[in-house]
Amino acid sequence: MAIDIKTKVLGATALALTLAGGAQAQDQDAATRAIEAAREFSGSTITVVAEAGLQALLDKQITGPEFEERTGVKVEIVELPFEEIYPKQILEHQAGSGAYDLMLVAPAWLADTVENGAVVDLQPFIDKYGVPAEDEDINPAFRDYQFYDGKQYGMMVDGDVLVTYYRKDLFEDAEAAAAFKEQYGYDLAPPADYARFGDIACFLTERHAPDIYGAGVINTGYMFLMFSERFRVAGGKFFEPETMRATINDQTAVDVLTQMVEQNACMAPGIETWGFAENLSALNAGQIAMTISWPPLGRWSQGVNIDDEALSWVPPTTVADKVGYAINPGGHPELAVGFMSSVATNSDNKDAAYLYGQWMHSRAQSLKNVMRPVGLRDPFRISHYESPEYQALWPGAKDYLTVLNEGAAQGLADFAWIDTYRYQDAMSRAVIAAISGEDPKEALDALAAEWDALTDEIGVERQRAAYEAWAAKPSAYRDE
Amino acid sequence: MSPAAVAGTVAPPRAPSHAGGTRAAGVAYVAPAVFVLVLVGLLPFLWSIWVSFLNLAGSTRSGDFVGLANYQKLLSDTKLWAALGRTFLIMAVALPVQLVLGMLLALHFQAERPGKKLFVALLALPAVISPMVAGSMWRLMFDHRFGPVNQMISAFTEKPVVLLWVVKGSLPFWSIVVAEVWQWTPFMFIILLAAIANVDRDQMQAAALDGAHRRHVFWYVVLPAIRPVLIIAVLIRALDLFRLFDVVWQLTKGGPGNRTETISVYMYIQGFQGFQTSYVAAIVVVLAIVLSSVLMLALRRVRLDR
Repeated sequence: MAIDIKTKVLGATALALTLAGGAQAQDQDAATRAIEAAREFSGSTITVVAEAGLQALLDKQITGPEFEERTGVKVEIVELPFEEIYPKQILEHQAGSGAYDLMLVAPAWLADTVENGAVVDLQPFIDKYGVPAEDEDINPAFRDYQFYDGKQYGMMVDGDVLVTYYRKDLFEDAEAAAAFKEQYGYDLAPPADYARFGDIACFLTERHAPDIYGAGVINTGYMFLMFSERFRVAGGKFFEPETMRATINDQTAVDVLTQMVEQNACMAPGIETWGFAENLSALNAGQIAMTISWPPLGRWSQGVNIDDEALSWVPPTTVADKVGYAINPGGHPELAVGFMSSVATNSDNKDAAYLYGQWMHSRAQSLKNVMRPVGLRDPFRISHYESPEYQALWPGAKDYLTVLNEGAAQGLADFAWIDTYRYQDAMSRAVIAAISGEDPKEALDALAAEWDALTDEIGVERQRAAYEAWAAKPSAYRDE
Repeated sequence: MSPAAVAGTVAPPRAPSHAGGTRAAGVAYVAPAVFVLVLVGLLPFLWSIWVSFLNLAGSTRSGDFVGLANYQKLLSDTKLWAALGRTFLIMAVALPVQLVLGMLLALHFQAERPGKKLFVALLALPAVISPMVAGSMWRLMFDHRFGPVNQMISAFTEKPVVLLWVVKGSLPFWSIVVAEVWQWTPFMFIILLAAIANVDRDQMQAAALDGAHRRHVFWYVVLPAIRPVLIIAVLIRALDLFRLFDVVWQLTKGGPGNRTETISVYMYIQGFQGFQTSYVAAIVVVLAIVLSSVLMLALRRVRLDR
């Protein structure tokens, strides 16, 4: 009897401790849980893919060493240039090399990555270590990205959306505003549509060139992003759903591409060769009045935390406090790329890899990451946009974060179906061909023919199912 | 003509009793090399042939046997033939220019000149640079704002010139040709310089004493003497140009659009970005067979032993 009582007391104590421990675990945030759980894997090494350059610097210089210090898990970073991330990860998976533990996946690649069997369903890890409540904090546009076929494969770490940056001092100049209104019949303000974007570019170029050009745009690389936003904002659809024939050479598409090409005439000489860096340089140097690009431009043009040695290549800003932020013309900016962490199927250390991903994705750690100058991680959680700490970084930070939040909420998801990468590449090439002198209609006809051939090769029914699944998402077309 | 005669020696008669042992020893000597060649050369090719009959393509295929389907696709692939055409076009322009420039430089430096060794070393420099690096360097050279090419043209014309070398019209094609000629003319130059240095001086002097013009000495004495080396150099360069990838990738990535896509760039995009593994294998098989046949025919016609 005495033994029974003792056993019961011990059992009750154990239960109480377990419940208390469980409650404590429930109270923990995802970052703390990830760190504590990862200590179990102390001494192991995980290999993490990062985009070459600033993205990788965050992991190499800051988060990787910190994770190792706090958990004993060593984080090795493999840097891959953007255009090689998807192919290299798939090739390594197909080769069964187990080269990577934690993969970097853009939302548009998720379907293909999962179909290739390269990444695993995260639910068992979430059940074991996760704090699901934290996912409610993610901007819905990005939260949806993490799932494929009803299962979660990704953890957002970088929320991208294209933003319009404009020079407030030039736009608010009373004399210019009056002249503009007289010439065009509407107010000089961040453009409501892409026709106005062109009007403003030409007006300000006429007024200020060659010192300042009305606009700068990115014309090399990523061109499928720029075109597909403008095409969809104009009402375009990628396929005729019944036949799955490409409709990217219809009149809407031709008009959009022609407009893109023609607007280059009002920009700086050589605009056809501008990429992300040229655009950034020109904005910081005060040489352009308006541009469209990724979120880091907002921070760098303000010069926030830009004294890091790794950012020495970023030209010093001459336009701090002069740059305003707006949602792109048309109101539905492209959610251009973005990144998630996914656990590799061939990883021998899946738990530790997942836990590093969870830590980077967590509310607490991700806020630190999106505020850092290096890392190129952009806000994706509501708590990021509403963070008093972030909003205090510079006088316009609150406006900046509001634009990012609202832009993402109204954003257009990058198109994603089977073999997305090939469709993207074909579109980028066609757009660049037109920008460099080919007739837009001919470039788009060739693109449509290439897309049709790809669709036939993949199988019309198979691609239709994938396309319809993508098109059903609210962020696919944003039909009013 | 027997190999022994080419070497200028006469093989000693072998004793019949030793013939079997000598043959066995010969086989033993070459067997490791043959084994390595088969392992690294033939097996991958045979594997490519097998893969070309399958349906391996990224996430969209099962790897089923599809017979000649990839070869049928190849015949109707207009982008492939366009890429092949562009490759031959670049070859048709760059190769003669490299040959002529290399020959002129070799002839110029055959005589002793002050600083000859230094100049020859400097002229050879581009050929030792990695083609990827050369491509990146030329990308900077052709930059429309900061590149020295536009700056020099502006200086000569005394007005600002903004030529978009890797973007506009036919300029991307010419920028590739320029980079390619810059990098590989030294190869021609070095090979031809060595060949000309070995031409019999007595014959050249005799022809000159007989009143032959320098042009005739070159045409009737030097050229026939260096012909085998010249042809081998041209063949090597032609094959290199056929495989042209690095410079194109760094300069234009095959763009704008597909305007500078060579066959190697096309295969890279199909294989490593599009994961069309079986289709690329089919292209490789066809090209390997065609190129090997052309090379064998060319070598047979050249008769290097003469």
